[in-house]
Amino acid sequence: MDLIYSTVLPGISSSSNLFHSLLKISRKGIHLQQILCMRTIVLCLSFLCTTLTLSAQKRFIVSGTIEDRSSGERLIGATVKIKEPGNGGTTTNTYGFYSLSLPPGNFTLVYSYVGYDTVEKVVPATSDQVIDIRLNPQKELNEVVIKSNKPNNDNVASPQMGEDKLNMAQANSVPVLLGEKDILKTITLLPGIQSAGEGNTGYYVRGGASDQNLILLDEATVYNASHFFGFFSTFNSDAIKDVSIFKGGMPAEYGGRLSSVLDVKMLDGNNKDYNVEGGIGLISSRLKIEGPIVKDKGSFMISARRTYIDLFLHASSDSTLKGSSLYFYDINAKANYHFDDKNTLYISGYFGKDVLELKNIFGTLWGNSTGTIRFNHIFNNRLFSNTSLVYSNYNYTIEDLQSANYFKAASQINDVNFKEDLQYSLSNVHTLKFGLNVLHHTIAPGTITTDAASSFNDVSVEERYGYENAAYVSDEWRLNSKVTFLYGFRLSSLFLLGPGTFKTYDPAGNVLTSATYSSGALVKDYFNLEPRFTASYLLNDESSVKASYNRNTQNIHLLNNSTSSTPADLYVMSSNNIKPEISDQVSTGYFRNFSENTYEFSAEIYYKWLQNQIDYKDGAQLIVNPDVESLLTYGSGRAYGMELFFKKKYGKFNGWVGYTLSRTELKFAAINDGNYFPATQDRTNDLSVVGIYQLNDRWSFSSDFIYATGNAVTFPTGKYVIGGLTTFSYSQRNGYRMPSSHRLDIGATLEGKKHKKYHSSWTFGIYNVYAHRDPYLITFQDSKTVPNTTEAVETSIFATRIPSVTWNFKF
Amino acid sequence: MFTACTKVIDLKLGNDSGKLVIEGNITDVNGPQYIVLSRNVPFTSTNTYPPVSGATVTVSDDQNNTYAFTEGPAGTYSSAQFQGNYGSNYKMTVQTGGTTYTANSRMPSLVPLDSITDKKADFNSSNNRREITVHYHDPPGVHNQYRFIMWVNGEQVSTIFAFNDEFSDGRYVNGDLVETILNIYPGDTVKVEMQCIDMPVYTYWFTLMEQNFGGPDGGVAPSNPPTNISPASLGYFSAHTTQTKVIIVE
Repeated sequence: MDLIYSTVLPGISSSSNLFHSLLKISRKGIHLQQILCMRTIVLCLSFLCTTLTLSAQKRFIVSGTIEDRSSGERLIGATVKIKEPGNGGTTTNTYGFYSLSLPPGNFTLVYSYVGYDTVEKVVPATSDQVIDIRLNPQKELNEVVIKSNKPNNDNVASPQMGEDKLNMAQANSVPVLLGEKDILKTITLLPGIQSAGEGNTGYYVRGGASDQNLILLDEATVYNASHFFGFFSTFNSDAIKDVSIFKGGMPAEYGGRLSSVLDVKMLDGNNKDYNVEGGIGLISSRLKIEGPIVKDKGSFMISARRTYIDLFLHASSDSTLKGSSLYFYDINAKANYHFDDKNTLYISGYFGKDVLELKNIFGTLWGNSTGTIRFNHIFNNRLFSNTSLVYSNYNYTIEDLQSANYFKAASQINDVNFKEDLQYSLSNVHTLKFGLNVLHHTIAPGTITTDAASSFNDVSVEERYGYENAAYVSDEWRLNSKVTFLYGFRLSSLFLLGPGTFKTYDPAGNVLTSATYSSGALVKDYFNLEPRFTASYLLNDESSVKASYNRNTQNIHLLNNSTSSTPADLYVMSSNNIKPEISDQVSTGYFRNFSENTYEFSAEIYYKWLQNQIDYKDGAQLIVNPDVESLLTYGSGRAYGMELFFKKKYGKFNGWVGYTLSRTELKFAAINDGNYFPATQDRTNDLSVVGIYQLNDRWSFSSDFIYATGNAVTFPTGKYVIGGLTTFSYSQRNGYRMPSSHRLDIGATLEGKKHKKYHSSWTFGIYNVYAHRDPYLITFQDSKTVPNTTEAVETSIFATRIPSVTWNFKF
Repeated sequence: MFTACTKVIDLKLGNDSGKLVIEGNITDVNGPQYIVLSRNVPFTSTNTYPPVSGATVTVSDDQNNTYAFTEGPAGTYSSAQFQGNYGSNYKMTVQTGGTTYTANSRMPSLVPLDSITDKKADFNSSNNRREITVHYHDPPGVHNQYRFIMWVNGEQVSTIFAFNDEFSDGRYVNGDLVETILNIYPGDTVKVEMQCIDMPVYTYWFTLMEQNFGGPDGGVAPSNPPTNISPASLGYFSAHTTQTKVIIVE
C-alpha cells in the first residue's frame, strides 16, 4: 500500500503545479489562433443552442440513471426506447445517465440491457421528471451471454461505426494462454484488430502501429499495457466493467492517437453487499473484494493479482536462476460515493509492476500507475457534467548489478490531465457533447547513474515538458426516423515548453541550430483541427448503411526500434524536428441483423492516409540519447481494407466470425529507394472464429480459431563475406512474409453445485490444440551441419499444446 | 515455462547476386595492406565468393603519399610494406567495371588494450561456461570507437562487438564480449583483436551488430549497413589500429 501512496500522491500534489502553469500560459495570452478557435467553438455552440432551443419548445425532459439492482453498478450503454413508433430513444452514457426529450402525451419507455430483465414504464409527459431505473440481472452469470429478453438493434440503429464493444461475459469465456483472461488478447479476435504476435498483447488497428492506440483505464492513459514482455496485459478482467474500442468514426471526445481508442472502465463495486471472489491458476492468483461504504450510497472495489512464475526458477539447478526474480503484480482499486441524485464522486487507481532480476547480474523493473478522481454533476435534466483529474505514469529502470559494470538507467513519463466533459440534451433529436482537456506531460528520457568502479559515466538527458490541450464539440442529430448524423470537431494542440536546450537537425542528422529556453518558455506549438463526421441511414428496422470521415492527430510518439515489446519505451513529444502524426480515414459500412436481432452482420471498408510517420536511421541507438531526434526519418503511409463480422449474440450456442482483408504500406525517402513498402503489420488475411456453447447448467465449452497472413519481413537476397564473417545482403524492405499463422484453442467451464453461501467454478483450457508451430522468428546463419553453406532457422515459442486449469470462487 | 524450439526450414529467397563487395583495411602494423574485391552470391550457394580481378586499386594519404596495390591472388590487392599513421586520413580509389569507387577513413589514435580476462558466464555457469572481458582505459574528452574480434581455439566468433564511449568516456572499461554461439570452457585458447575505428566504420559495424539481435530481445529491420564507399557498394574501407592478446581460459 505504501507503494500506491508514494506513486499516486505526487500526482495529486503536482496538480496544483498544473493549475499554476495553466494560469501562466493563459496570462501570456500568446496564442491568437487558439483564442480564435475557442471563439469559433463558443459561437457554434451558442448558434446551435439558440436554433435548436427554438425548435425544441414544448417538450418535456425525462432523465435519470440506470443501474444493476443487486450490485448498484451503473450500467453503461443501457437502452431507453420509446415504444410509440417514430420517437426514437437513447442510451446511457459512461456514467449510467440518460436524458430524453418528449412532446406532450403519454409514452411507454422500455429500459433494457443485455443480461437484464427489461422494464417498461408508462410516462405521462406533462412535466420534466427524473426516473431512476434498477434492472434485475438474469440469474446465472453465464446467461449474460445466452439470454436476453429483448435483443436490441443498437448496432444497426446507432450512428456510431467502427466501434466494437466487448461483452465481458463473452470475453471471459474465450480460452486463452495459461488461463489468464485477457481483454487485449480477446479484442484481437475482432475484425480490423490484429495481434502483434503470438503471446503478445500488442495490437494493430486498421494498419496502425501499436503506439498509435490510445489505451485508457478510467480515463488515464496506460502507456505500456503489457506485462512480462507482452505475454500478458495489464488488465485484470476481474476489475473491469466495460470495454469499448473505436477503430474508426472516432467520437470527438477522444483524441491524441492515430489508430484507435480502447476505453476500459473499472467496476465501481457493489453498493449493496460485500463480495469476495478470486481464482487460483497455474501462474497467477487473484482476489477481489467489493462492498458498500454506505449502503446504496457508496461502494469500493479492490482487485489484485500476482504471478508466481519465479517459483519455477527457484526450483532450477542453475544458481543464477535460483536466486532470481521474475513476477508481476497489479492492483486495481475504486471507490464511489453518491452524495445525492445530482452529485457522484469516483476515485480509482491502478498500480502494476514487473520485476525481472537475475541475481547479481541484471535487474529491470517497469510499471504503470494511474489515478483518477471524477466528479459527476447533473446540473439539470438536460445537462450532465463530468470533471476529472487524472494522473498517469510509466517508468522503467534497468540495472547492471555486476560490480565492474554497475549502472542504473531510468526513464519515465508523467501526465497530469484535467478534463471537463459535458453532455447536453437539446431535444430528442439533438444531443450535444462538448468539453476540454488540459494534459501536462513530463518526460524524463533517461538518466544513468553509476559508481566509481563502473565502466560507465553518469549521464542525464534533459527532461521535457509540454501541454497537450484539446477542446471538442459534437452533436448527435436525428434528422428523422431514418437519418442520423454524428458530427463535430476536436481542436488539438501541443505546446512544447522549456527549460532546456533544443536542437534542430538536417536530414543527415547534423545539428543545424541549438537554442536554450528558460522555464515555461514556448519552444514549439502545433494546432490541428480534427473534423469528425458520421452519418447513418436506417433502411429498415434490421439494416442500415453508415459512412464516416475523421481526422486524428498524434503529438506523443513512442521510439523503440526493437521488434518486440521491451520495457525500454521512450516517448517524445512533437518538436522542432518531429511534426504531429496525422491520419485521415474514410469508411463506409452496411449493417444487417437477422432473426429479431439474434444475428448481427456488418461489412465495413476503410481507407486511411497517414502523414509524418516515424522510422529510424541505420545504427540508431535510442536509449539515453540526447540527440535521439537526429536518428529519425519521416514518411507517409496508406492503409485500406474490408472487415466482415458475423455474430450470434444469444442462445445456447453463440459466438462470432470476423474476417479482415487489408493492406498497409509506408513510404520513406531513405528506405527502400523511396518506394512504398508493406508495413510489418500488413496482414492480407486475418480470420477469427469464436464459439461458445452452454451444454447445461454446469458445463459450458468454448473454442477459438485464428488464421493470419504472416508479417512482412526483410529476408536476405544474397550473401558475402566481410570481416571474416558470412554477411547477408538485402534488396527490399519487408519484401517477404513470415509463414502464415493459425491456431485452435479450446476451453471448458464447470460450475460448482449451487450453494447458498458460496459459488465456485473450474476453468480448463488447451492452448494450441493441434500443436502447430507458429513461427516467431526466422534467422539466417552458417549451417551447423553442412560446412561452407548457410541455413534459415525458424524459432517458435509455443510449439506444443499448453493446458491450463484455474479454480474460481466467490462468496 | 515456454517451450522454445528451432528447426531448419526451406525458404524461397530472391537472388540479387553479382554485386561488388569491397573490403579495405589499412592498419598501424608495418606490412602489406590489403583490399579485397569480390561479388555476393545467392543465399543457397556455397560460401565461395567470386573474386573481382583486373581492378585498379590505390590508396593515398593526406601527406601526398600514394600507394599502389597489386593483385595476387585473384581479387586480393596488396601494397608494398607501409604503416598507417595515427590521425592520418586515407583515401581508397578502386576502378573496376568502368566505375570509380572512393572512400575515406581516418586512423584514430591507439588506445592500449590493457588485458583480457575470463570469468564465470552469466547463464549456465554451473557447467563451467566462461565469458571473456576486455580491459582498456578510454581517453577522456574525445570520441572513441572500438571493434573487437574474438577467436576460440582458432575459430572466429560470429558475434560482432562494436563499442563506443557514449556512456564510458574517460573510464576504465571492463567490456564483456558476450557470445552464445561457441561456448568457452577452461583450457580453451582465446584470442582477441582490438581495433580503434573511426565513426563511419563504427556505424557500419554497429548496424550489423544490431541486426544480429533478432531474438525476443528485439532486433531492427535488417538492411545493408551504411557504407563509407561512394558510389555505394557492399563493404567498407577502414583505417584502424590493431592489437591482439591471447589467453588460455582458467
